[in-house]
Amino acid sequence: MKAALAVLVALALLPLVLAAGGAVACTLPPDAGSVLGEGTLRLAWRAAPPTLAVARPFALHVSTCPGLRLVRVDATMPEHRHGMNYRPSLHADGDGRWRAEGLLWHMAGRWELRFDLVDAAGAQHVLRQTVELR
Amino acid sequence: MRRGAARFVARAAAAAVARALGALTFVTLMALMALMAQMPLAAFPAAAAGAPSAPGLLDFTADERARIASHGPWPPPPERDPSNRVDGKPAAIAFGRALFFDRRLSEGARLACADCHRPERAFQDGERVARGRGQGLRNTPSLLDARTRRWFGWDGAHDSLWAASLAPLLAESEMARRVDTLADQVRGDARLAAGYRRAFGEAPGDDDERIAVDLAKALAAFQATLVSPRSAFDDFRDALLRGDSRAAARYPLAAQRGLRLFIGEGRCSVCHAGATFSNGEFADIGVPFFVPGGVDAGRQRGLQRLTSSRLNRLGPHNDAGADDPRAVITRHVVLEHRHFGEFRVPGLRMLARSAPYMHGGSLATIEDVVRHYSELNEERLHADGERILRPLKLSAAQAADLAAFLRSLGR
Repeated sequence: MKAALAVLVALALLPLVLAAGGAVACTLPPDAGSVLGEGTLRLAWRAAPPTLAVARPFALHVSTCPGLRLVRVDATMPEHRHGMNYRPSLHADGDGRWRAEGLLWHMAGRWELRFDLVDAAGAQHVLRQTVELR
Repeated sequence: MRRGAARFVARAAAAAVARALGALTFVTLMALMALMAQMPLAAFPAAAAGAPSAPGLLDFTADERARIASHGPWPPPPERDPSNRVDGKPAAIAFGRALFFDRRLSEGARLACADCHRPERAFQDGERVARGRGQGLRNTPSLLDARTRRWFGWDGAHDSLWAASLAPLLAESEMARRVDTLADQVRGDARLAAGYRRAFGEAPGDDDERIAVDLAKALAAFQATLVSPRSAFDDFRDALLRGDSRAAARYPLAAQRGLRLFIGEGRCSVCHAGATFSNGEFADIGVPFFVPGGVDAGRQRGLQRLTSSRLNRLGPHNDAGADDPRAVITRHVVLEHRHFGEFRVPGLRMLARSAPYMHGGSLATIEDVVRHYSELNEERLHADGERILRPLKLSAAQAADLAAFLRSLGR
């Protein structure tokens, strides 16, 4: 009887199991910053200096899941129909860690960060994050 | 066996719930952290944030107060330019000041820097376009707060104050000198040679280009000391920030209403941002770029000049070499078609003293500038301009308020 009850509970919770753990998430360093994506297609990023400010150059430190290659970082202001006046350079720091230098956001408002990735099979992926710059 | 499988599924379900809860906690934590990260801008004294306004003080919201705070403090803490080894050095500042007023630096000894950058006119000349040996195409920019800039000149053709200072010395239409004759003059003139020695700690050597660049670096050291005085706006901002409503209420109501327009509906502060009221970048705001004999391509041409110059921060005259943190912008700046016809977003401090306005000096008064933004040519902007720009369609009272605010940015 107890076993049957356990099975019923488990079946009821199965969708939650699949939602939360269906794709095994890779482990990213705990201090790597904001996390984007899911499963094995994930990255974490943080800015340096950590507080973004209008018209101040900054860099991004990015950590990716194993097997992912970060090939491009860019940012745009969709409402303004323009991007940055700078093209970031990308540097591989090893062990899935990357550094994008030369970013500068020259207006307050909604920016969309874009990360272009290539997985081990050669498939291309894009992860985006909106950041409100005040 | 069936019981074991059930236990396994139940455990997995429990683990999933825990993971979901953990994720939820993480999201909550991140949201809290994001909120805290935004706090410095909004962290006004409690008395200021929710306090009723004093008589004569508009009821600025917390968001408005945060925006107002972003336009200070003033003056900003001095930041040395690592590319100039004599920046901040008193002997170099003194040498630079002497050079700035010395007409012998021009061909025929007819023109000093100070003849176009006049101290009594906020270090510009009040003319529509510059007049050196010939008539220029652009308005002479003020030198006040030049140390805070990232790009120099209306087209940003220079990335340092010293490179921007050498350009007029060598321009045919301005001081019309050559590098070799400048260097000979410094080596051959006892007063100039002594000033050079005091500023740079050595006698002028054989390298002509180095001597010419060093003259420009001394000139830059002097110009880096030119800072706008505190304004009525700064007093208002600081009073608002410390919760002193009575002091804040001394700021005229018309200026307060104009400020509210500037940071709000008018969205002027999107580009005229920060303590200098400029984001330091470039924009096309619908001012014609036709000039006698053609067009002024603005930032597009400026970028071409910048990237091909030996005098940029990536070149051999940067005293910090590859360690100059400011060189990052030169290394990453891109030239795109949209830069055609863009000009530098000027700072607005001491605006009332620096008429006429715009890169071609086409607008004579602050009221003309306000009218320009009130009646922008929308069709043209939709073709090339940014979506952020639209005609403000101000009433006469609003236009007067905005002008009152702009005038309050100087003494």
